[in-house]
Amino acid sequence: MRLNSLLTTTARWGRVALALGGTAFLTGCDLNFWRMDGHQSTISVAGPVAVAQRNLFYVTCWVTFVIFVIVGSVLAYATIKFRARSESEELAKPVEQGHGNPLIEVGLIGASVLALVIIAIPTLSAITYTHDVPEAEKSNAYEVTATGYQWWFHFEYPSEQVPNSGPLVVANELVVPAGRPIHVNLRSSDVIHSFWIPKLAGKVDMIPNRGNYLWFQADEPGYYWGQCAEYCGDSHAVMRFRVIALGPKEFNEWLNRQMASARVVAPGADQPKAHFASYRTEFKRNEKGWSDKFELNPLDSWRVHQEADVKAEDVALIQKGRETFQAKTCIVCHTVRGHEGIGVNGPNLTHVGARTTIAGGLLENNPEQLARWLRHPDEVKPGNKMYHGIGAMAGYVKIENGKEVKNIVLDEADISALVAYLSSLK
Amino acid sequence: MDATVKSNFTAKEPHAPAKSSVFWRPTAKTGLISWLTTVDHKKIGFLYGLAALMFFLVGGFEALLIRLQLMVPNNTLLTAQQYNVMFTMHGTTMIFLAVMPLGACFFNIIMPLQIGARDVAFPRLNAFSLWTFVAGAIIINIGWFLPGETAPDAGWFGYAPLTSKAFNPGHATDFWVLGLQLLGVASIAAALNFIVTIINLRAPGMTMMRLPVFTWMTLVTSFLIILSFPAITIALVEVMMDRQFGTNFFEVSNGGMPILWQHLFWIFGHPEVYILILPAMGIISEILPTFSRKPLFGYPIVVFSGAAIGFLGFTVWSHHMFTTGMGTVATAAFSLATMAIAVPTGVKIFNWIGTLWGGHLKMRTPMMFALGFIWMFMIGGFSGVMHAAAPADAQQQDSYFVIAHFHYVLIGGSLFALLAGIHYWFPLVVGRQVSDFWGKLSFWVVFVGFNVTFFPMHFLGLNGMPRRTFTYDGNMGWNTANFIATCGALILASGIAIYFSVMIYTFFKGQKANRDHWDGRTLEWSLPNPPPEYNFRVIPTVHARDAFWYEKHHRDEIERENAEHAKEDEAHGGIHMPFQSIYPLVASSGVLIGAFGACYHTLIVALIGGSVMLSGIYLWAMEGADGYHIHLDAEGNVIEDHDAKH
Repeated sequence: MRLNSLLTTTARWGRVALALGGTAFLTGCDLNFWRMDGHQSTISVAGPVAVAQRNLFYVTCWVTFVIFVIVGSVLAYATIKFRARSESEELAKPVEQGHGNPLIEVGLIGASVLALVIIAIPTLSAITYTHDVPEAEKSNAYEVTATGYQWWFHFEYPSEQVPNSGPLVVANELVVPAGRPIHVNLRSSDVIHSFWIPKLAGKVDMIPNRGNYLWFQADEPGYYWGQCAEYCGDSHAVMRFRVIALGPKEFNEWLNRQMASARVVAPGADQPKAHFASYRTEFKRNEKGWSDKFELNPLDSWRVHQEADVKAEDVALIQKGRETFQAKTCIVCHTVRGHEGIGVNGPNLTHVGARTTIAGGLLENNPEQLARWLRHPDEVKPGNKMYHGIGAMAGYVKIENGKEVKNIVLDEADISALVAYLSSLK
Repeated sequence: MDATVKSNFTAKEPHAPAKSSVFWRPTAKTGLISWLTTVDHKKIGFLYGLAALMFFLVGGFEALLIRLQLMVPNNTLLTAQQYNVMFTMHGTTMIFLAVMPLGACFFNIIMPLQIGARDVAFPRLNAFSLWTFVAGAIIINIGWFLPGETAPDAGWFGYAPLTSKAFNPGHATDFWVLGLQLLGVASIAAALNFIVTIINLRAPGMTMMRLPVFTWMTLVTSFLIILSFPAITIALVEVMMDRQFGTNFFEVSNGGMPILWQHLFWIFGHPEVYILILPAMGIISEILPTFSRKPLFGYPIVVFSGAAIGFLGFTVWSHHMFTTGMGTVATAAFSLATMAIAVPTGVKIFNWIGTLWGGHLKMRTPMMFALGFIWMFMIGGFSGVMHAAAPADAQQQDSYFVIAHFHYVLIGGSLFALLAGIHYWFPLVVGRQVSDFWGKLSFWVVFVGFNVTFFPMHFLGLNGMPRRTFTYDGNMGWNTANFIATCGALILASGIAIYFSVMIYTFFKGQKANRDHWDGRTLEWSLPNPPPEYNFRVIPTVHARDAFWYEKHHRDEIERENAEHAKEDEAHGGIHMPFQSIYPLVASSGVLIGAFGACYHTLIVALIGGSVMLSGIYLWAMEGADGYHIHLDAEGNVIEDHDAKH
């Protein structure tokens, strides 16, 4: 009994603490999770597919909320009303030992079925709508093919054929026209991945040996975050990508730049500048790879990345980087169209300098992060193929007699040169 | 009765085994040998429970590491690989090594008592199930302890082709495959045993529609196990063949189909969800009537709903695969079938509330957990309906919204019910009474901690955080919710710590509990606590649902009947008990050795294991299903064991 009264007191103080804490929390703390307006929000969305999915979610939410309130009230009422308040009440003569009432049962079953029908009808219509581009808009749809690799995304534009090369290929940043339905063919080169741009459309898996697809449309130009949503091994968490939607004119300008071969930096009038010399060499494992400045207006930041800062370029260093890229066997896995690179195991780097991110959407594309990635790829992206090699192809390390030995070794001068070269590939 | 007892008195040593047998018959009733060779369903159930609780704590520890890693963005507590091991082992451990065996613990201990039986139908097979379960658990976890190996890290649903040799070259996935295979053997053997027991060993008058709901749910769950485990058995054999012998079931370069794994896995995996929740619903359906002092409202429809959930459970597997591009027709069909499951589930909730209505609710710890269960299960059920709407699920699948959903069902549902069940049957099984104050305190801490952990995850998921990610960036709007969730996990952990400290204390030092501690309604409460090895002195005759409640209100009639039945028992030579046996343990050890050999593809070890297993099974068959007899005096003390073989 004494213990029970102690429990009651504790409960009372608990309630007071909860009320105080709650107030403090509501007034002082960052409640951003309640607003759900992050970069990957499925609530504040930007295209018709995601809108349809969200609205269906709202329907399920409201129907179940109403049921919850009704059933919950009855349950709460029953618990409070019929609670034995004393030992004598507990031991009171038991009530009539009845076994149920068929009418109530059937009525409640009917009501549940009705509630489910309210959800089922919009579900069926949304299944059809979100499955593929609506017939009426098919002629206007733009087609791309996305392929998942451990742990990055490869994008192809079948309708943009580069002379003597095949379809236009980019990596990790999918640029699409805004206001047009986009039909994305989904492929995988190794394990199962899943293609998810929450603000534009729910996910569909990229399964080897299976021709999946999805569609989405970005209503307005914008910069959208995407991420692999199916566990695909060591670096699943850092397998990210971006979708950049542009107005028709800007999209065409972008296409024209991409269709061109990799840029060759001509010797300029200005003196060489040595500002690649001193990057931070120590990054904490997992340290964040983006800057707050970038976040202010991601689409504008993207636009800035499209322009080469010709005056700041160190021509000699870039040339050395291009040689290093070849000497260190980078060309075996990476294509730089028009330059030496011809490999297809890694992301296409023809215009890597014009992307906002590197390492599969993980790090902001600036010299410092690029150097970090080249220096310690395995810390940034555990298990990645550039470090561990792929198949018989050795990476930074190779296995000899069951032991890991170094293969590609980059010193700081190599890294500076590579950074200069890759950054120049606008 | 006395005369019959005396006529069989032969003054030999108690528990003397049959002399004619060439086989060693262990007879120890205490000590290590007694536990290793036991065939007593209560001891086996107790061992299941012990193992399950140990693995529950291990799985909980893994969960804490996961939460600590995600407490802040870009955390470095765990590496990517360690994190992947943690979530794989957390899922595998909690499902196969904690919640399932805890269910098996209750089936074993409680079900025979509820139907008035003296043991399960095949006591030695029961021992084999237990030891094979232990062998499977060892194989799954062995990677932690072997140099140069890691524990499995391909996720608890091990999607091909990530489990192939090319993407997972170590032995971790072999441990996972073989371990699950052994657990499947153990589960199927146990389930068959329970089915036969429930069908054949019911006391006279215990018709199917008088079975306690917990026993009904044991039956339905057992059918789910024997029907669903073959699917994963096949799938695991295929992965094993791919890895060990270069077949190409899932090998894409040779035309294999990774999607096949998903279908086979989820044909098992979805019924598995009900294997985890139906026993919980059974426990709740026992506790609510007892503490409301009323019969279960709508018994037939609760039973029927349980069976309907079991059936429908086999028709909805592809709702785990809405994002695999199944096309509109299949997606619509599985969407509607999934919604249909909400109906029998809702019916159960309505009937539980109906049970409370008009009762005298005794607010003791088991009742608190049971009420908590209803609330939490409702929330989990509603988010389940949200997943059933396939297009909405395209956003929720593999996000933290799903994590929130199934933890509301599996912690707020299964685990709350199991914790309620432990509290409820503790006085019966252990004979000691648990402090209500500490019990309620643990309930509140667990309840608050659980909600603080998992409610924010709904928001995380809707805000686009994918599951199984070892790190996240600080600019995604996920920081606060993750921080709160981790704080909640620490509260939850302290609640669990309180709960188990109290249980351990009570186990050794608790106050003795009265017989029929909660004024129970079902037959197990008619027994002394702890129940004697033969359970029922006289096999009861059942006259009504809530058999013991009826007994308590018709004392004279029951006394007369029991006296008659006691005479019948004696005429048959007394209470027949099965002999203990070492061979189930021998057979299971063979399975363990064989599986270990198979993991390393060492033919010789696998063959040795296979022979040990086969000889165990042969000796087990040849020693025969003999037993001995127990005779009781008027006070119920064992006076003598008859040595006659049967």
